[in-house]
Amino acid sequence: MGELADSILAGDRRAAGRLISQAERRDPQAVEDLGILYRHGGHARTIGITGPPGAGKSTVADALITRFRKLGQTVAIIAVDPSSPISSGAVLGDRVRMMRHCDDEGVLVRSMATRGALGGLSAATGDAITVFDAMGFDIIIIETVGVGQSETDIVGHSEAVILLQTALGGDGVQAIKAGVLEIADLIVVNKKSTSGSDKMARFLRESLHDRPMRADGWDVPVLLTEASEDIGIDKLTDTLVQRFYHNSTQDRVSVTRRRQVAAHLTALADVEVRSLTKRLVAGDATPEAWQAVLERRSDPWTLSAQLFEKLR
Amino acid sequence: MTDQSENIFGNLEELEVKLSRTKSWGGIETENSYGPADTSDADYAEKLGDPGTFPFTRGAYPKMYRSRMWTLRNIVGYGAPEDTRDGLEKVLASGGTGINIVVDPLTTQSIDPDHPSFGPEVGLEGCSLPTANDIDRLLDGVDLSKIDTAWHWAAMAYPMVAAVHVKRGQPLETLQGSSMPDMLQETLSGWGERLVPTVLGHKTTVDEIEYSVQNSPRWALGMPQAYDLRERGLTPAGEIALGMAFINKTLEDLVERGLHVDQIAPSLAWVSTSDIDFFEEVAKFRALRRFWATTMKDRFGAQDVRSMRLRVACHTSGKSLVYKQPLNNLTRTAIEGFAALCGGVQSLEVCTFDEPVGVPTHEARDLAIRQQQILANEVGAARVADPLGGSWYVEALTDAVETEAKAMLDQIEKIGLLKAISDGTIEQMMDDHNLKIQRELDDGERIVVGGNRFMPEEEPAPQRFTFDRTNTENHIRRFIALKGSRDQDRWRDALRTVHSVAKSGGNPIGPMIDAFVADASVGEVWGSIRVAHGLSYDPYDTLEAPLDYAD
Amino acid sequence: MQTETEIQSGGGQPVRCLLGMLGTDVHSKGIRTIAQLLRDAGIEVIYLGEHNSVKGMASAAVDEDADLVGLSFSSAAYVTYTRQLVEEMKRIGAQDIPIMLGGIIHPDDHAELREMGVRGIFGAGSTTEEIVEFVRSMGRSQ
Repeated sequence: MGELADSILAGDRRAAGRLISQAERRDPQAVEDLGILYRHGGHARTIGITGPPGAGKSTVADALITRFRKLGQTVAIIAVDPSSPISSGAVLGDRVRMMRHCDDEGVLVRSMATRGALGGLSAATGDAITVFDAMGFDIIIIETVGVGQSETDIVGHSEAVILLQTALGGDGVQAIKAGVLEIADLIVVNKKSTSGSDKMARFLRESLHDRPMRADGWDVPVLLTEASEDIGIDKLTDTLVQRFYHNSTQDRVSVTRRRQVAAHLTALADVEVRSLTKRLVAGDATPEAWQAVLERRSDPWTLSAQLFEKLR
Repeated sequence: MTDQSENIFGNLEELEVKLSRTKSWGGIETENSYGPADTSDADYAEKLGDPGTFPFTRGAYPKMYRSRMWTLRNIVGYGAPEDTRDGLEKVLASGGTGINIVVDPLTTQSIDPDHPSFGPEVGLEGCSLPTANDIDRLLDGVDLSKIDTAWHWAAMAYPMVAAVHVKRGQPLETLQGSSMPDMLQETLSGWGERLVPTVLGHKTTVDEIEYSVQNSPRWALGMPQAYDLRERGLTPAGEIALGMAFINKTLEDLVERGLHVDQIAPSLAWVSTSDIDFFEEVAKFRALRRFWATTMKDRFGAQDVRSMRLRVACHTSGKSLVYKQPLNNLTRTAIEGFAALCGGVQSLEVCTFDEPVGVPTHEARDLAIRQQQILANEVGAARVADPLGGSWYVEALTDAVETEAKAMLDQIEKIGLLKAISDGTIEQMMDDHNLKIQRELDDGERIVVGGNRFMPEEEPAPQRFTFDRTNTENHIRRFIALKGSRDQDRWRDALRTVHSVAKSGGNPIGPMIDAFVADASVGEVWGSIRVAHGLSYDPYDTLEAPLDYAD
Repeated sequence: MQTETEIQSGGGQPVRCLLGMLGTDVHSKGIRTIAQLLRDAGIEVIYLGEHNSVKGMASAAVDEDADLVGLSFSSAAYVTYTRQLVEEMKRIGAQDIPIMLGGIIHPDDHAELREMGVRGIFGAGSTTEEIVEFVRSMGRSQ
């Protein structure tokens, strides 16, 4: 116990990979190591990238890696892809776009499957962040699945959420309808050479303008990039740095931290509750109370209240 | 094993050959039989026409192989230029009528043979030709204004061969031969955005066609290179659809640059495949010519009959061949070659039976040439133009392939070709196709002899082609020596010009030829183009540019 | 404690299988198809695609905590490249991660590849079922 944590703190990437796998399968052994690592963290800056399929999330991540490496920063990437709901298998293909960094020891990419989680991330995302943070990575980039519009888990895990859009296929309108704009700290219209990009950016700026000022006083910028040609990435990086600086004022640090811890806790609790419920439904553990509901001597509300009483 | 199956006669019913599939290999459902109701005579002139007349469904020329036999090709390339030279001489000695050269993967991707990562691959599956001098050595004594050389090689073939011609003191307008400038195809067939971004690849193709039709009108352009697209994962109808999408986009861009379709189309030839479904492939060649002719006439306003009359260069399908019991591949290639001739192609390469094993042995090459000679002289494949024209089945299948192709082309053009490539739509389409085929094979719905059924008993390992690497090693040393001995100022100036012309958005093909004349290598010339487009010099991100590009 | 996935897949953990190609080889059709078939068989495929460096592939196996590495070759240089990868894995202490090969692998080379430590060889004529079964068997018991 605690051996993996020691190795990880000494920079052992193999151990880091293993611990994240343990966390992914909710191996109870992982808890102690993660706990040790958590106490060593708190220095990394976290960036979330979300947006619809084809918006270029991995390409933007790749361009950001290049830029941060030039600034002397080390970068870890957590790239999440969906698990098949039928087979539970997955094809995790985000690394392909980040290949030019594969020989660079200052870059670490970990691909993760959602394994049933619904918020656009893996349930172990917070655990992976804990590991990379403790290893001393300066920047941690988290890339969401990018299939649906309910990918809001990213908000809790990153202090700068980049929402990617393109002028293709009316993404912007969809985003506004779905309320995804709310989660963004930065909005980026990628593939800016596509016709309609400027119009899209204007439209997004106007929609933001109509909204009340954010509680943290941050003015959400709308930027244009062509990540595959490295265009606009300088500006994006500068804005990210501004965002970090903005968060660094005392009271905001605690807001951001609190948000992150809450997200991590929610993710852990979610898994626990789901797992418990699933086991009940699967009939592995059939306490009398569950039998009672089945036989209509009790009801789901009562059972739920009994099960989670202690949490109240 | 059960007792029953030990007695082979006990299972006779199961041993009977049953029809495994009523769909064509490309997935078109077929009827029990076809008859007059499936076609109409009324539109003979519009849909078919006599051979040699619009819309050329029945063939490009009125007398087809009576007026001109197809070019009997056999593809060669391995090791150093000296090795490939030796192979070419053997092919010509067996009766091949064309020189067809394939370059190694490094040269294809414009990577020099001294790249530190890829030493083991130099000359391994094609000839290593990093400089104009190497091509000069390979084709010593071959007059490029008289002898037609065909290059299985994309954008760099033309400027390099042109440089050899110029170095020999010959004018560019006399240059003969052909190459395959289609770079979009390369992006899709495994190069990916990393080796050639879609937009750069497309621009390079357009540049090359523009330059070559204006400066070397006798140079033919294998465009689209639909062969590799089919191998990557497309049906016959898909070949027509995606190939035509390439052609439409390329012609539109060339027209925008001020060229007329009749300046371009006569130089183009479609590079196709012939897969194992005989009737479907015949139908494809016929539908393809019709599709091309009507597109040139209606969409691009072609006036010249040569623009509307499509020439097809065919190489039989490599992926249809099976590794196990490889002699069965002779049966396959015979039928595929026969389909290509019944479909009216202008040149034919038949795969060697040992292609799934690796680089062909000399014996396998010899048999591939003999096979074509049998088709030409014994089978009667060349006797009559469009021998299957008027077959109710083949006409119905021709229409079906055409209809499917139209629908798919519309779908691609609705998204926009370049976007559909760069955002992965086309790749996904091909992956879906391949997955479907693999599932059919796994389920036994599609049967391949020696692939998923009728497996041979233990057989000896197939024979492998091997060659002495001494020439290749000397060739790499010679290459490094050349880099030290060339006129450095001239070399640097030439590459800087390539860079600055490309960077300003101009057509860099002329400066590329000059750079090859100045002994620049394929890696250096393409690297300079890459840098001009904001990319790394080395697509594999290992090497740095060997010069500063003064702006 | 079990996650949803465990319940879905009957208690097993998804095997994490790295798939990729080395050198200049562009024949990715096969590896792309097998990636999808493995996904459908419940495997988590970490797909690296074409044109990886030996060093990059070895470090990906470590960073991704792969249960095995699958390489596909249609180029005759596979013996050399596989040896380079085996040596690099050894150098970074990852020699215990099994390697399997697919593609065009000549029977004459099997012995040499096995001797290097290659665990699975799936040349022409291998079935999807055989490959899936092998990959599944490489999952670590917890």
